[in-house]
Amino acid sequence: MATATEATKETRVTGTNPSPAGMRDQGLTSGQSHEFAIILPLKPGGGQRMRDRLRDSLNADTQLMDRMGTLHDLRFVLFDNDTRVLFASTYDGGFEQYIKDFSTLVPDLIDKEFEDCEGYPGVRSPKIWEYIARYQQEAIVFYSAYPNVTVRQVWKGQRVLSAFEQLLDEASS
Amino acid sequence: MEAQLTNTIQVTNAPTLELSDIQATVLRPRPSPYKGQYLIIRIDDATQGREMLRRLIPHVAPADDWWAPTLPGWLAVAFTFQGLKALGVPQASLDSFPQEFREGMAARASILNDVGNNAPANWEYPFGTTDAHVAIAVYAKDEQSLDTVLERARQSQQDLPGISIIYRLKFSELPEGRNPFGFKDGLHNPQVEGSGADVHPGYGAAIKAGEFVMGYPDELGEAASGPEPEVLRINGTFLAFRKFHMGVAAFRKYLRDQASSPEEEELIAAKMVGRWRSGAPLALAPERDDATIGADLDRNNDFSYEDDMRGLKCPFSAHIRRVNPRDALKNEIVAVNLHQCLRRGTNYGPPLPEGVLEDDGEERGGVFILIGAHLKQQFEFVQSQWVTDGDFINQGAEQDPMIGNKRVDGTFTIPKLPVRRRLHGLPQFVDVRGGEYCFMPGLRALKWLAGLNGESS
Repeated sequence: MATATEATKETRVTGTNPSPAGMRDQGLTSGQSHEFAIILPLKPGGGQRMRDRLRDSLNADTQLMDRMGTLHDLRFVLFDNDTRVLFASTYDGGFEQYIKDFSTLVPDLIDKEFEDCEGYPGVRSPKIWEYIARYQQEAIVFYSAYPNVTVRQVWKGQRVLSAFEQLLDEASS
Repeated sequence: MEAQLTNTIQVTNAPTLELSDIQATVLRPRPSPYKGQYLIIRIDDATQGREMLRRLIPHVAPADDWWAPTLPGWLAVAFTFQGLKALGVPQASLDSFPQEFREGMAARASILNDVGNNAPANWEYPFGTTDAHVAIAVYAKDEQSLDTVLERARQSQQDLPGISIIYRLKFSELPEGRNPFGFKDGLHNPQVEGSGADVHPGYGAAIKAGEFVMGYPDELGEAASGPEPEVLRINGTFLAFRKFHMGVAAFRKYLRDQASSPEEEELIAAKMVGRWRSGAPLALAPERDDATIGADLDRNNDFSYEDDMRGLKCPFSAHIRRVNPRDALKNEIVAVNLHQCLRRGTNYGPPLPEGVLEDDGEERGGVFILIGAHLKQQFEFVQSQWVTDGDFINQGAEQDPMIGNKRVDGTFTIPKLPVRRRLHGLPQFVDVRGGEYCFMPGLRALKWLAGLNGESS
């Protein structure tokens, strides 16, 4: 008993219970595509800091987001005089399942995006789901031009198409 | 930025696992050869249920009594959520269990792709009903020892009319330790830090014990906070029990139809599994079976996919590469250690004689017990993502060729130069006959459940 109790004390008991409200409990779906939108209050001066930081790190972040392989797009829109931000994105069905992986392997990427939001607890905090549930807003309509095609399928399609075009070029020259 | 899981872990001294309190099934492989039975019990009277537990507890094998067991066999006991209710566990405690466990496996059918033939409506009784309360597994080395342990199990419910054994399944090892499809399996299990189990090359770096047993830090440095109270939680874990029927004749017939020679049949079969029949992995024996590797515990699991990132040796979709990707996903942001289960598999039914391509109507297959502290991110993740969805390996909707639930045109892609080969019309080789999520408590927790220490209601 002693050892197990000590082990418990040494660690942060933060709970491993599943999210009380998953991203999918709100948000619309088209095929296997999902929309996610959240409107968050910003800390004083947070809008400008967010603007500077995200612009500067866009290139590096793009590579990490590519490696997630399930995010079609995302955008941050500052409004109400930099007091609030809208974050909106489209993701593939698998994305939500991997959130624990992302928050484990690239917590800095996610925290950097949201650290200027009022009350943001950090992606590794057990309070994160509560925070998302509080501010997530479901769209009233969601359109996808390719609802059943995943990010990886789009990339693959592009690769195949360009190889095919090259083949045609070579055959006709 | 190299995403390494270890970067985020605070490495402390590994905690000592309380082996005398953890059930043997969690940390120890079953004996080989083995004989055994699974029993499922319904409790109609909570007081009698606790009495049964009191009688059973002395026979439950702990993990430290495995190497030189004082018992003739291994008895393991686990409870469904309905079972905990039937035992009279207080509501506050019931409410503190994870949601997926409270709902039960049948309620998670859409997440697990248990639809069509595999839907809970088609499961055997009592799986997926509110009658399945207690699951008992009895393992022994031979028939005689098995009878001794079964007799003890019988005595535990003698004169208790409120206790009924409502399901019984015999299992035993097939010749050469093969599964019904004819493959040596059960060759890989994650290495649990501090468990003291035998380790062979290829098990990978030790994974934090908290991934598999509650009360210890997991890969994120956290320890589970539910269920309450702590005495119930510590040294307990969860398991997914899955009973599969295996269509051995359908498998053989499909291979015959796709191949033009017996050698090609064997190659296609190995591509689907990721190993040859002997157990030799394609990663080490890409062209033909190598029984020497297959039989060598120090070699048959000692491989990675580092030099096979195009899947030319072992296809991306091969069963063992999907359910345990090792380093195959190292370029993605995937923390594979968060998605591991301990696997305890057994087989039931007679083998289908060699060469038979027509189904003989016999019930045969396997029972898998997939153990982990986080059902949602372990069993449910592997089943819903890696078994059911091919997108993570760039294979669209292609499912696991062996255990996928192929309701439309099942495909299997074999990367090859100059062009890949894609098989179509894969039948469903494995049907789910039933399953349950169970809580497998530690021995002290069993006593708490039995009301022995006066803390229970």
